Amino acid sequence: MAQGRLITVAKKELFDHLKSRKFLLIFGILLVVAIVGMIGGITEYNKALDRYNEHQSAIDSPLSSYIAEKPSILSVFASVATYLVFVGAILGIAMGFDLVSKEKESKSLKILLSHPVYRDEVINGKALGGITALSGALFVVLFIALATLLVYGIVPDGSELVLIGIFAAVSFLLIFSYFAIALFMSTIMDESGEALIYTIIVFILLSVLVPTLANDTVMENLVGSQPEIPQELLDQMQRPVTNATESNTFSVTVSDKGDNGAWDEYNEQVRAYWEKQQMVKDTFALFSPTMDYQSVTSTITSTMTPGFVLSAGNGVTTAFMVSEGETTSVEDILGKILANIAALLLFPAVFFGLAYLRFMRLDVR
Amino acid sequence: MIQLEHLTKVYNGVRAVDNLTADIPEGEIFGLLGPNGSGKSTTILMLVGLIEPTGGRCLINGLDTVRDPVSVKQQIGYMPEDVGFYATLSAEENLTYFGALYGMDPKVCRQRTAELLDLIGLSGVNKTVSGYSKGMRQRLGLAKALLNDPKVIILDEPTANLDPRGVADYRKIITGVAQAGTTVIVSSHILEEISRVSTMVGILSAGRLVAQGSWKDLAEDLAKKDGGLVTIRVESLDPVPELSHPDIIDVRYETGRFGAIIRARSDIRGAVAENLALHNVRIQGLSREGLTLEETFLSYYQVAG
Repeated sequence: MAQGRLITVAKKELFDHLKSRKFLLIFGILLVVAIVGMIGGITEYNKALDRYNEHQSAIDSPLSSYIAEKPSILSVFASVATYLVFVGAILGIAMGFDLVSKEKESKSLKILLSHPVYRDEVINGKALGGITALSGALFVVLFIALATLLVYGIVPDGSELVLIGIFAAVSFLLIFSYFAIALFMSTIMDESGEALIYTIIVFILLSVLVPTLANDTVMENLVGSQPEIPQELLDQMQRPVTNATESNTFSVTVSDKGDNGAWDEYNEQVRAYWEKQQMVKDTFALFSPTMDYQSVTSTITSTMTPGFVLSAGNGVTTAFMVSEGETTSVEDILGKILANIAALLLFPAVFFGLAYLRFMRLDVR
Repeated sequence: MIQLEHLTKVYNGVRAVDNLTADIPEGEIFGLLGPNGSGKSTTILMLVGLIEPTGGRCLINGLDTVRDPVSVKQQIGYMPEDVGFYATLSAEENLTYFGALYGMDPKVCRQRTAELLDLIGLSGVNKTVSGYSKGMRQRLGLAKALLNDPKVIILDEPTANLDPRGVADYRKIITGVAQAGTTVIVSSHILEEISRVSTMVGILSAGRLVAQGSWKDLAEDLAKKDGGLVTIRVESLDPVPELSHPDIIDVRYETGRFGAIIRARSDIRGAVAENLALHNVRIQGLSREGLTLEETFLSYYQVAG
């Protein structure tokens, strides 16, 4: 019986979402940005693949001293993640902000709770209905993303499929985090308008303010400046080599290992600097699902991709880098993003827990 | 059937319901009367299990509303004053959803829904509840309260938005279910409405139940308590001046003051006549009347403080 009532509430909530104009509208936008992002990502991927193929064939060129890697299919999802981080959050907020407050306003909550149903069945049913709708929406997006890949003749291998699965899972957790925050606001506010405003304030706080605190200026104050390449090393180099990825993991590799001692020392300083900065950023990220999501998706989508041509400043144009002969396994990636995934699990759990407690003690008058 | 035992609810230090004790037998229509803020709605919300008492308890058919909320709710049908439904669903869809929460078989629920919508005059209305008038929503609220064939029906201001035909239908339905053994609690401030349907009445004042019984019993009790309240009707051709007498409880003047209704502790018609004559008021009539419903209610309310 208890499960029956929970399912009854969840089914009603699910159909309410699926029939709601706001859900359909934001879901439509999500689909469009996913398709646009995929097409853009595939175009970039193909270009990178062409560069890789050119490099492979140009073994006599001056650049043959470094090793390039075949680009990862995961890089295609980078631009999808860029859109999803905002549109997904908005979808979660739109689905959650009036779940309880709307029932308070319309007085249907009083009617609902006068029926033989426990309050936890009502709040769990609401969450379950929302989660099911969100999962369905993400499943469709993922399905279309994979279909787009196949249409362009790109077939992911097993490990790439696992990473795509992780990408989908963290995307779900991001949306569910904001859904849970919105649901919490909906339980503590009497009006949906208020709940929406406060949810948006929290969204701005977590997705703009916290990441701003982790910007370069603040970082410089907290962890100092990045160590500069000693002049003697620059002098030795015909082509300085620098490597940085979007996730700020850093490594330096030279093809000419004539002066390993100086390089190793510098490399160690740079690694320590970036590790320290990453630790501070990870700490900030624990308070922002947006940062956690960006951290996870950038790690996933930039792993096993070819390096970037960067400017190291001082008028010296650097060539690029890759970790020589290294490929990152799924286990390695998971190791890097585990804290972020844990935080992404914690956020919805905490806010849903708060919403649950509040709803259980709600005086319905 | 329903026992309220020392029921108390305190909101932010204010006793909305104060040590309320009552016993409502099966098959009675119990009218809960009281002015705004007297604790009627709070009492009903505790009965329905929507708020928890600060002290005391409510028992419905022997079940505690706090300890066995789901079992209690399975046996009651409730219609709040500001009845709210899911606006994007039709009447059938709303009732089907609530029927599912009662654990009703879908086929039985559909059949019952059709019967009830026919009973309240909403069958064939093919629109969502968002397009319903307040009166239609209130009719639907009554249907919802009857959906599970409850042992107890609790109605808060059930006729507030109904048209005369709707009120007549409501009275017929409520009287019918009570005759079939269902206990009904009706909260209202419309005395006429309560007097038409209720077999028992309880008067609340400042959260306390100041009287309980039939109207006749209450009027008799009141008369005994106060040594016999007397209502005197004055009809005059000249405006009635301010009247004063130690036994007068209150005076209501009619429009233009060409008449007044005096409530007094004794028959003071002689003194009133003298007073009016003193002011050269031509008297058309000076009669003693029995207590009206309103007077009985106001007397109890006044006695309570």
